[in-house]
Amino acid sequence: MSNMESLVEAVKAGEEEDAVTYVKAVIEEGHEVVNIVASLTDGMREVGDAFGKMELFLPEMVMAADAMTAAMDELKPLIEASAAGMVAKGTVVIGTVEGDVHVIGKEIVVRMLRANGFEVHDLGYNVNTLDFIKKAIEVKADIIGASALMSTTMPNQRELVKLLTEMGCRDDYHVIIGGAPVTQPWVEEIGADSWGENAAKSIEILEGIAEKIGKNNV
Amino acid sequence: MYRLWQILDRANTGPFCEVEDFNKKIFMPKLKEVIKKYGIKYDPDHPVSDDDDVADRVWQAACELFLEVGVLNVDTHRRIIIEESELKEALYHAPGRYLVGEGKDARWWQDRCPEDSAPPFCIFSGDITCDEEIFLPMTVAYCQEPLADGVCASILEESMGLKIKAGSPVELAGVTEHAMSLRQAAKLVGRPGMFLVAVGTALSAMAQVAVSNDQWGVRYTDARLIGGLSELNIENDAMNKIAHCMNYGCFIGNLTGSIYGGYAGRAEGVAVLETAYHLMGLTIYQANFQQSFPFHLHFTSNSGREMLWLISVTHQAVSRNSRILSTSNGFLNAGSGTEMVLYEAAAHGLTSTVSGGHLWETAVARNKTRNYATPLEARLACEVGHSVARQGMTRTQANEIVNRLLAEYEENIATAPQGKMFQECYDLKTAQPTSWYEDMFGEVKKKVAAMGVDFVY
Ligand code: B12
Repeated sequence: MSNMESLVEAVKAGEEEDAVTYVKAVIEEGHEVVNIVASLTDGMREVGDAFGKMELFLPEMVMAADAMTAAMDELKPLIEASAAGMVAKGTVVIGTVEGDVHVIGKEIVVRMLRANGFEVHDLGYNVNTLDFIKKAIEVKADIIGASALMSTTMPNQRELVKLLTEMGCRDDYHVIIGGAPVTQPWVEEIGADSWGENAAKSIEILEGIAEKIGKNNV
Repeated sequence: MYRLWQILDRANTGPFCEVEDFNKKIFMPKLKEVIKKYGIKYDPDHPVSDDDDVADRVWQAACELFLEVGVLNVDTHRRIIIEESELKEALYHAPGRYLVGEGKDARWWQDRCPEDSAPPFCIFSGDITCDEEIFLPMTVAYCQEPLADGVCASILEESMGLKIKAGSPVELAGVTEHAMSLRQAAKLVGRPGMFLVAVGTALSAMAQVAVSNDQWGVRYTDARLIGGLSELNIENDAMNKIAHCMNYGCFIGNLTGSIYGGYAGRAEGVAVLETAYHLMGLTIYQANFQQSFPFHLHFTSNSGREMLWLISVTHQAVSRNSRILSTSNGFLNAGSGTEMVLYEAAAHGLTSTVSGGHLWETAVARNKTRNYATPLEARLACEVGHSVARQGMTRTQANEIVNRLLAEYEENIATAPQGKMFQECYDLKTAQPTSWYEDMFGEVKKKVAAMGVDFVY
């Protein structure tokens, strides 16, 4: 196996130390940083697919994402120096809406987004509507994701869209909403942009958005 | 109660920790360590485990995990750690027997052990939201079930036509309507003192406090559920609910559902974690019972083979080693009005009963869609539970039957039929099941009887 293959395998298996060892080796070998990142991203996509097929679960995904982060940390100076000027696929502000403590679904989406090269600001749960927006303005987000698992907290997704409109910045963000009770008609009713039916679909949609805003260069 | 204040104080003084570190550096590695140390291994041939030793090892692993990891307060970012002597004290003082409900409708709820001939305590609940118009008939349908020792009603999404929003005045209206209609339903079926677990419509502590009322609301002979956050997390709001319930005097059920495929990983980890939750309920939530609903991350259900194994092991671990009362909450894949859901209900009721658990039956159709649940699924689970306890069924016999039940639906879990709504399966005027669903129930019951369940009636 080449060092590059070993690197990808280490990331997929969540072996953080090995990932660092091999990433140093491939840097030494003089591979283009863009190619290294592309291989790593493909590896993580496989992890995501395996999660979708229930071949592996959250602990394995967490470990793979950590190994990926460790490898990316090593690459950081090179990325910054590279002429390609690589950027994240998009900046996402995400959280579970006010009054709602259901977090697992959102956490899965967060991990998958990070693994796929998005910059994610996770505000946790019970997040006030204005806090979503303030954070989005602060970090110059492209996407706002709001999770609601209950009929009684879904109105806060509507509130988010309404407030964005009233503040005059609705068009600055792609608003994606999710959670088991959310449906396409609800998305349309409240004027959100898309429905994250599950983690895999959410990634697919947001990759499309990244493409559209010209941030899909990895 | 003196312990409560000590424990709550630790939410402000315990070791600082952020949630990400808690999951990755403390909880996940320790769980992995105890699974290995105690040699815990999922056995697919035994969806009903008959191995006392594995149950006891799961108990030990759970104690070690809980004492070392503690519970993270996500608001203060501090870990609440319980000392071994405190855990032992709490276990020693667990009464193992409560009189719940009142008057002629009061019932003893008593701890059981695996293969116990005493029937499980049965709480009937569809665990789902419903239309405001059908709340009363649906609740009447649940309250009139002969095996129901207690009832937990459906959840309202609207009150007087207004959408309920958490923390708003409409939430207060909704929880009042919920509590009053539930009480009314119990009275209408002639069981005014029935043990009620209420109210699921109340999300905030404020709304929970608002329904504590001896006349029309939640009485101190009733119970309420206080949820734990996944995994081994607690929030301030829950602690407010605990303090209120203790003062008011009602029973507390700690609602926990470890996630298969979540941070606890697979069957072994979920069994250990779900067992540890019983210790958390007892010591931190001051719970009188545990409401236990481990579920599969992708299916939101617990009737699959690996789920039944971990349910059986968890309830055996708890019931062999403590007097903690625990309800095993069914989460089924198929919906009402299908044969599949009835087989799933039978498997869940059977597995939980022979393992020493009590029954909380049952969520159906992956617990996702409004109006999707009826008491008939719960009835089958509880009839199976009562019958196998009375006939003195062993876990080995139960395992054979559960394997045969699994053969009826296991392959269809991913593609389970959604089934029908309550109002399609029941007559709303009489609150009785439609004849076609009752016939289907009868047919499946016959097949389950042929597998070896001697139904009491
Ligand atoms: C687990 C659970 C809990 C756990 C939550 C643990 C935690 N910290 O997360 C606990 C026990 C704490 C809990 C508590 C309560 N719960 Co609860 N719970 C559930 C349950 C069974 C599963 C949720 C889950 O984790 N699913 C697994 C994940 C992976 O799926 P998911 O969340 O749908 O996420 C996927 C997609 O939706 C999408 N997605 C999700 N979010 C986002 C966000 C974005 C931006 C995107 C793009 C995509 C996306 O991607 C995810 C991955 O594929 C649901 C029932 C159900 N079937 O959903 C009830 C449910 C949500 N709960 C319910 C209720 C009533 C409660 C309580 C009020 C109970 C009580 N009486 O105390 C409390 C609420 C407390 C509060 N203030 O929030 C009701 C809500 C009813 C309603 N009003 O609509 C439900 C629907 C059950 C029911 N059918 O009645 N619950």
